[in-house]
Amino acid sequence: MKKNKLKIGIYGLTGCGGDQLLILDCEKELITLFESADIQSFIMAKSDNIEGSLDIAFVEGSVTTEKDKKELLDIRQRSKKIIAIGTCACFGGIQAMVCDSNNWEENYKKVYNKIQMTHTQPLPSKPLNVYVKVDYYLPGCPIGKEQFLSAFTRILIGSPPESYRFPVCLECKWHENDCLLNKGILCLGPITTGGCGAICPNHNLPCVGCYGLYEDANLNSEFHLLLNKGFNLNYIKQKMANFSGTSIIPFFNTLKEKKK
Amino acid sequence: MKKITIDHLERVEGCGGITVTIDEKIIRDVKFNIFEGPRFFERLIIGKTPEEVVSLVPRICGICSISHRYAALRALEKALSIQVPRKIKLLRELMHLGEIIESHSLHIFLLALPDLAGYPSAIAMVPKFNFEVKIGLEMKHFGNRIMEVVSGRYIHGENPVLGGFGKFPSKQELIMIKERAKQFMPFALKAVNFINEFSYPDSPESDMIFVALNPPNNEFGFVGNEILISDGSKINVQDYKKLTNEFGVSHSFAKHSLYKGKSYSVGALARIILLGDRLKGNAGKLFKKYYSPRWKKNPLYINQAQVIEILYALERIPILIDEINKLPDSPIIRYKKESGKSAGAVEAPRGTLFHYYEVSGGKISYGDIVTPTAQNTEDIEKHCYLFAQDLLNKGQEKEIEKVIKMVVRAYDPCISCSVHLVKVKKALEHDWRRKLALLKKKNNIIYIGLGNPERGDDGAGIELALQLKKCGMKNVLLGDNKEKSKIFLKSKSNWCIIYLDAVDFGGSPGKITIIPLHYVLLNSVLSHRLSPFLSSQFTYEHIKNSFLLAIQPGSIEKKKEISPPVRSAIKEIINYLKN
Repeated sequence: MKKNKLKIGIYGLTGCGGDQLLILDCEKELITLFESADIQSFIMAKSDNIEGSLDIAFVEGSVTTEKDKKELLDIRQRSKKIIAIGTCACFGGIQAMVCDSNNWEENYKKVYNKIQMTHTQPLPSKPLNVYVKVDYYLPGCPIGKEQFLSAFTRILIGSPPESYRFPVCLECKWHENDCLLNKGILCLGPITTGGCGAICPNHNLPCVGCYGLYEDANLNSEFHLLLNKGFNLNYIKQKMANFSGTSIIPFFNTLKEKKK
Repeated sequence: MKKITIDHLERVEGCGGITVTIDEKIIRDVKFNIFEGPRFFERLIIGKTPEEVVSLVPRICGICSISHRYAALRALEKALSIQVPRKIKLLRELMHLGEIIESHSLHIFLLALPDLAGYPSAIAMVPKFNFEVKIGLEMKHFGNRIMEVVSGRYIHGENPVLGGFGKFPSKQELIMIKERAKQFMPFALKAVNFINEFSYPDSPESDMIFVALNPPNNEFGFVGNEILISDGSKINVQDYKKLTNEFGVSHSFAKHSLYKGKSYSVGALARIILLGDRLKGNAGKLFKKYYSPRWKKNPLYINQAQVIEILYALERIPILIDEINKLPDSPIIRYKKESGKSAGAVEAPRGTLFHYYEVSGGKISYGDIVTPTAQNTEDIEKHCYLFAQDLLNKGQEKEIEKVIKMVVRAYDPCISCSVHLVKVKKALEHDWRRKLALLKKKNNIIYIGLGNPERGDDGAGIELALQLKKCGMKNVLLGDNKEKSKIFLKSKSNWCIIYLDAVDFGGSPGKITIIPLHYVLLNSVLSHRLSPFLSSQFTYEHIKNSFLLAIQPGSIEKKKEISPPVRSAIKEIINYLKN
């Protein structure tokens, strides 16, 4: 029976471990989940791991060391499909955020005082797709349980795990919340990938953008809307950058070009 | 030299490994390597608003995101003089208890239990321990449910903000939690007995230093403004750096901590040992039933401590909810203060967590975060060393890998947490020439020759000291002369003692090595030969700054001559020190 099951590996590079933890948090479904597929490797959860060829590899976290990079290249080589799980794997995470202290080499020198690490070489934080081909993305900080289970089930029956192709705003409307932007609160709902169920607006709090940028988002429109509402330009940029990792760079570049 | 390397430790949160270096009969070195990359959190938050920081810092760790948020809220609210009403305080306590239940259940039932029962994973245990694993998962789910209700989501929930909550949980939701907590009581009681039934590996038990926050009103709990240390001292949370003294090492991206030169332990075991007497109800009863002084010496007893804390949380929740439901909701408190600084601390499931922030002009200008695992790392290395050396002495080298994995897992290390800004100050070094050169550069060294000239090679230390004196070196003493060394130590700053002695460390005769004194004291093989001279007068500072320059003797029978290999070793050292 085991022969026909899909071989699956669940891996973590650099991040908070929250996405793997969320998989462990599927308490009621966890046992069924382990029964329905052949979980070859899940280092956070078990000891008897087999590092061989895989049908699907779920990878959490961003690449921030040579060791991460080597491990990722190895996983790619022996996996038919790679699914990036979580904002770190998809966009580089908050450790890749574009900010004032973002000159990585300067940061590294200041922090580590030119002393070389003996065990592995650190690198600037990058999402998985900088180094390998990524087949599917499940963003989120952390990913949503329903989102993961539906993706997992789709994979089991041989379908691609469809990501949620709408922004947080849509989910917010489903919940019939009052628009926070209309109340003059800086909310990133219009430009952030959905999947969380608009959890922050449901709690009367603005979206912080933790699922990363929504692929078809009109960043320019949100940016100017916030400017017109009187928010400070740098503050808006900072907010947009917190969870977007490297994916915000093209937009910031267009802003620079306009200035010229 | 042989190495046991565990590249990626399973069933812990994050990416860490252990390297044990075995040099014939002694464990030369134990390194807990943290491969999880650096994320520069303390630099990323600079320039952000306090509100942004509250939603960024929980991302340090998926398991204790609530604790990070809670610690940040405590620090920032104090810095900005925000006083929150009692209902908010109690709701925060409730969400934190949810995290304690969730994290402890995860550790006990999914990560540690397979070790105790001899299985590769909790899932593999299902056929035989179906009930226990399911109860564990249910309890974990319950912890998650509490966090979901109070903080919006069970990982990185955004509902708790500066000055209050975005939305208060409904009375009905809270009553559901209260009833559920009551339903779990019988299962939790059963779990305590179940966990105590397992046998634990014999350990080379050694005294540990425990640290936890001191909750107010002489009660048990997980927050406080004072740090309690098992040596009897107390430190205000604002002075947390007096405790943590963080420093970096080259084999890890996590900082290490030493208190007065000694490693210390934080976490459930530390809390239960320091505060267990304050427990009431079933938790108090079972603490009295199972507690033994051995808990103070062996980190593996953490599972017992965690399960008692689950009981405490289950008993506390109904009381909390009854009071919360009587209090009115309140809007988020707006604040005007734009600058200030403060530390804030909470007991995360794994131990004391410190956050410190400086705010100026409404933006963060400095941040410092000291996590439980970073504080435990030194203690983890120490205990791995103790267990490994003990197994080596018993000739059970094959067991080392399995047992030290258990030891590391017992600390429930949360590796993501421990990785942040590191300043490397020193690296451990065992090449004696390089180590001596390093020590000489920064310190005033006193050399003390030890040994018995009547017993062949055992006189090597004395002989070496005599010859160094002949070469005109003034900082050399014969035998451990307390008076003279005191005078010397008083006159100099940055002092360092190097004992010269023939020591059997399992090498070939004439082999030279330098060993930090704390390793020697921990190692029973070596210490019995040193104890008459050394053990009486040690202070923490003394141990921290002392090393043993050891020559492996060939023969220590009763004769006057020193054997040729040892003689040439003495020559080698003299030639090196003369230059």
